Amino acid sequence: LVLTLVLSFFDQFLSPTFLGIPLIAVALALPWVMFPALPSQWLPNRQLLLQSWFINRFTQQLLLPLNTGGHKWALLFASLMLFLITLNMLGLLPYTFTPTTQLSLNLGLAVPLWLATVIIGLRNQTTVALGHLLPEGTPTPLIPVLVIIETISLFIRPLALGVRLTANLTAGHLLIQLIATAAFVLLPLMPAVAALTAVLLLLLTLLEVAVAMIQAYVFVLLLSLYLQENI
Amino acid sequence: MLSRLVIVSASALKGSGPLGAGLVQASRSLHTTSQSLAPVPPLPETGGKVRHGLFPEELFQLLYPKTGVTGPYMLGTGLLVYLLSKELYVINHETFAAASIGTIIVVGVKKFGPSVAAFADKLNEEKVAKAQEVKDQAISVLTQAIEDEKKEQWRVEGRSMLFDAKRNNVAMLLETNYRERLHMVTTEVKRRLEYQLALQNLHRRMEQEHLVSWVEKNVVSSITPQQEKESIAKCITDLKVLAKASQAQARA
Repeated sequence: LVLTLVLSFFDQFLSPTFLGIPLIAVALALPWVMFPALPSQWLPNRQLLLQSWFINRFTQQLLLPLNTGGHKWALLFASLMLFLITLNMLGLLPYTFTPTTQLSLNLGLAVPLWLATVIIGLRNQTTVALGHLLPEGTPTPLIPVLVIIETISLFIRPLALGVRLTANLTAGHLLIQLIATAAFVLLPLMPAVAALTAVLLLLLTLLEVAVAMIQAYVFVLLLSLYLQENI
Repeated sequence: MLSRLVIVSASALKGSGPLGAGLVQASRSLHTTSQSLAPVPPLPETGGKVRHGLFPEELFQLLYPKTGVTGPYMLGTGLLVYLLSKELYVINHETFAAASIGTIIVVGVKKFGPSVAAFADKLNEEKVAKAQEVKDQAISVLTQAIEDEKKEQWRVEGRSMLFDAKRNNVAMLLETNYRERLHMVTTEVKRRLEYQLALQNLHRRMEQEHLVSWVEKNVVSSITPQQEKESIAKCITDLKVLAKASQAQARA
């Protein structure tokens, strides 16, 4: 509950501090609280049951196309998914800070993981990994151009992963702020338009809920696809 | 709601970790009682009761003696009005965003809450049902085994009757065999005796015939020619007399 002197709409993306103490660690550790440890009882309560059911189904689905070597990444993918989806969903609450709007965080997640898949591919099956740089069935004159293009697309991948997540969430949050401000400002002036704007805000928030979940899923899915190519 | 989370996690932390164990052991002296964790106290079946999805029922129970039914609501309203009037909470665009996300959450929980809860309960039910099925199957297999055992025991009782019947059969066979052989012996003996009898009869007849033929021979040889002439002459006279007698009878 701070005096909200909104200087710009980008203040919500400032790394939160309280009396000089950075709270980013707390914000990042918050998802840990949301998933309690499984007790040793046989029949868990509804929350734990649903969470473990979701985690099991998700991991099973994600690891289906991967071979046995890729199963080592199961814990990483599952925890990454939970982390991202919780951060995104919590960020939709008012006055919260979403760490995944920070490009530093997203690139910090994307680059090492992508690089890991590339290095695994180049170490274990060099020719196959290099062979991915040339799609099958290309006409011979196009080969040099296509190799260059594929290399560029390979190196763009971590950037794309990080920026995709950042841009989606940042844009969503900004839109919510803008439309909420519009509704708020229009309320004394033109209540009917304000009501319409409020409806728009409702729909947008619904969209943002969906985007939050989908973006997290897409991040993890793409990483699993990159792993599939290289493992 | 989150306060309950804190309390639960605090009590969980008390038992875990190096510092936590120390905190717990501080209130217990070293190995004086044979303490054990069994029997484990039963876990609550449902979560704590909440009103309006957020406020624990204990709060209402706490305030009821002093402020009655409307107490907590007055407290909430008062708090809200205080925050708004003192501008500790300023209504701005975030309030609208909060209202929209709040609406979505409330509508979502109200609409999908029961079905999700039913799904979770169904998962638990399936787990229990599987274990129950194993147990039931084991019980049925064992009862079936008991019945089979009883049937086998009953069969064993009937075996003595079977043996008696078999014994009877064998005895009958032996009896028939013995009688057959007895019959054979008697027929053989009778045949032998009949042979002797026939032999004796033959002897007798042969003697008779021999005697008769000897007597005849002697008689025939003893008849002299004189006697023969006399007997023939006598026969002729007899015949003449008879002829005369019959002629006379025929004429009369």
